Amino acid sequence: MARMNGARIDDAGMNGTERAIATGGGLLSPLARSQYAALARLRWCVFVNGLRSKLGAFELGARAVAYVLYGVMGLGLGAGAGAIAYSLASSQNWQYSPIVFWVVCLIWQVVPIMLASFQEQFDLSSLLRFPVGFRSFFLLYVVFGLSDVSTIIGGLCCFGILAGVTAARPDLFVWTALILAIFAAFNILMVRAVFAWIDRWLSQRKTREILGAIFMVVILSMQLMNPAVWQHGHRTSGKRQQQQQIQQMLASPWLKTANEVQSWLPPGLAGVALQQAANQQPARALGSLGVLGLFVVAAGSLLGLRLRAEFRGENLGAAPALKKTATGSAKAIPVREKNAEREGDWRFGGSGPIAAIIEKEIRSLFRTLPLLYAVGAPLVLVLVISGSFIRGASRGPAPLVAFPLCVFFAQIGFRMLFSNNLGTEGAGIQLYFLSPTPMRTVMLAKNLLHSAVFAVALVIAGLLATLRLGEPSAVVVAATIAWLLFVLPCNLAVGNIFSLTMPYRINPGRISRQRGSQASTLLSLLLQVGMLAVGALVFELCSIGGMMWLTVPIFLALTAVAVFVWLRILGNSDDIASQHKDLLIATLMKAD
Amino acid sequence: MQTSHGNFQSSFHRPAGTPALFQGGTLLSLPHMGIAAIQTHGLTRRFGELTAVVDVTFSVAPGQFFGFLGPNGAGKSTTIKMLTGLLEPSAGTIEILGKPFSASALDLKRQIGVVPEGMALFGRLTAPEYLRFVGRMYGLDRETTNQRAQELLEFMQLANETRKLVTDFSHGMQKKLALAAAVIHGPRVLFLDEPFEGVDAIAAGMLKTMLQGMINRGATIFLTTHVLEIVERLCSHVAIIHQGRLVANGPLEELRAGVASTLPGAQSAQRLTLEEIFLSIVGAGDQQDLSQELSWLA
Repeated sequence: MARMNGARIDDAGMNGTERAIATGGGLLSPLARSQYAALARLRWCVFVNGLRSKLGAFELGARAVAYVLYGVMGLGLGAGAGAIAYSLASSQNWQYSPIVFWVVCLIWQVVPIMLASFQEQFDLSSLLRFPVGFRSFFLLYVVFGLSDVSTIIGGLCCFGILAGVTAARPDLFVWTALILAIFAAFNILMVRAVFAWIDRWLSQRKTREILGAIFMVVILSMQLMNPAVWQHGHRTSGKRQQQQQIQQMLASPWLKTANEVQSWLPPGLAGVALQQAANQQPARALGSLGVLGLFVVAAGSLLGLRLRAEFRGENLGAAPALKKTATGSAKAIPVREKNAEREGDWRFGGSGPIAAIIEKEIRSLFRTLPLLYAVGAPLVLVLVISGSFIRGASRGPAPLVAFPLCVFFAQIGFRMLFSNNLGTEGAGIQLYFLSPTPMRTVMLAKNLLHSAVFAVALVIAGLLATLRLGEPSAVVVAATIAWLLFVLPCNLAVGNIFSLTMPYRINPGRISRQRGSQASTLLSLLLQVGMLAVGALVFELCSIGGMMWLTVPIFLALTAVAVFVWLRILGNSDDIASQHKDLLIATLMKAD
Repeated sequence: MQTSHGNFQSSFHRPAGTPALFQGGTLLSLPHMGIAAIQTHGLTRRFGELTAVVDVTFSVAPGQFFGFLGPNGAGKSTTIKMLTGLLEPSAGTIEILGKPFSASALDLKRQIGVVPEGMALFGRLTAPEYLRFVGRMYGLDRETTNQRAQELLEFMQLANETRKLVTDFSHGMQKKLALAAAVIHGPRVLFLDEPFEGVDAIAAGMLKTMLQGMINRGATIFLTTHVLEIVERLCSHVAIIHQGRLVANGPLEELRAGVASTLPGAQSAQRLTLEEIFLSIVGAGDQQDLSQELSWLA
């Protein structure tokens, strides 16, 4: 029997730790616990080391502010959910309780995407080179998800519901807590599973393109479906008529079918279980909870399936094997011809660097789902904002700012594009410093392309807003265009500074587990708020004075100032880039 | 000591902590007769408290295949980054083709090609798209870029991988693509940071032939690598950096003779390999007692 560094080795040549490694170890085995401690220590070291630089300290401040904002948002939503739950519980309208659970579920599942770049992410797959057991890996994956914004907000909503129901019906406290716990478990596992699978599909070109197409179709469908549902509501006025319409809608066969289906889905089951518990039907409530529990198991299995593949060493970066083709000159000739044909497929005018960068940016944009999503998803906001105006319109005409606001919100998604326009370059950032093309040319090309995409997206948003809100007056359209002309150079100018001074790497193959700069995100959101405030102020002052036409020259004057600033910043791009060269290269080349 | 090229005098310098192999030697790098392709003077780079490169002065003549060697962390990549504009020197000057880099950066960048440490690839492009992009960034017109890109893809045996994204390439394929991108604009000076790392033997042979061909046509190549056999076969001149300081610089044959003269016994200079030269200059002081065993390994 030998001794190594004090550890006892048995006849099989393995000590306790090694045996634990070989068997994967238990969830709470000594090895697993030491790994959790090491991981916690690692996160602490990363946090402390991050504070060494000024930017790191600034990031911490921004993160603190961001979490306060999340907290306020979560508390607001939680209070809202609690108030609704209290109202339903005290009025015995339990049949509507699934609606509350559906809203919470949607927030839980959708918020992570909307805030993908606003969260601290840690890619646990980097732990796989260590002897981490699968169960520990799974647990860590889930535990790390608990600090997600969606979980914080969703959790606060659940607390709100618990408080609301308990305040109205204290006897239901245990039932409500149990239902919410299972419901929360489902959401935590589901959101992780969805992102794990999306990342898997994004890792391969074919599935990435299919997913991209599905995503665009869904976005457009939502835009078109919603007006179809609410169109009549918009045309009518008067509470009675609207109530009649809602009654008609509720009586429609498709809605009955939808209601049947939803009652077998997790949010519906949670609502139904609560209703059954309130109606003193514990056996049935337990049955509903059991089915909900099955969904938890299913979500966990779905996540486990994905994580198991990752755990076994699947490389998400690996492309599917291509058909094996012979190399050499005999085969190269047809390839040359094929490439020549492909080159002629489409091209942007000119040979110069600007045209080259624009062509490259277009290709990269269509192969970077996070950016496509960031640009496309806020179009959903047109739906949300216009929806609230339509419902408000039943009590009177839609406000003057309805159309401009809808269009303005659609451009929020460009934040990621504008404020981190080097984020997808990766190691390619070096080329910009190595090539004779000045950085101002690179930024100009990117700005031109982004402006074009911005214009197209906002035309679509304008058309959708018109479809939903009705045709705006010419002066409102002109004022909106003038406002957006002001917004664009502001975004470009500030975005260029952020891109060069606070870059962060965007992994083109992932929506989740993205790194982000809290500072850049927070400041660019503040910029949006500022531009919104300027727009609202000008609109309000001019409408009070009955001189809406005056908004156009005011915005155009502001635009001239913004363009001047943008050009100055563009002209200084090389100096700014040179001062931040080390940071840009180190940050954008950082391995995932 | 005049070399066959008549440009350099080989020299050795002993930094603190290295063995006293070359006591009394001085660092001298004397370019003369014409403009040097690369010339540095007092090149220094500091990272906070750490000085990664200290007062490095050397010169590379046009048409030279120059090997820049050093152990890990010696300052090779930092030096090459400063020479190519990826990193600002803290002190000292760099001249490329007779022009100061700081004053003529854009003009000089047209005339140099670089395979940097990170390869400077765009993962979301295919190889032809990337090469076309790089060509146009260097000011080539579209037709010339397309033609050269196609030739390079075939030469590098990447012509059948035109649908694959660069991110899905193997490391060796990425290296080949990075090298193709570095030469697409026909640079007069080529900087290569570990170009053979991860490249298979067949491709390495092909690349060596290509690089030798460039030298024959008058290009200058500045190469850093850990594969000493490649340096020995390709490079006419070698510089060795250790702990941020240049400790040897000159034609390979003269370094060989210099090291042979310091070794005990009458060892023939011809029989010394570059590895032995390298170890003599930088390795002896760092060598541990290799017979010492780790306590927990059987």
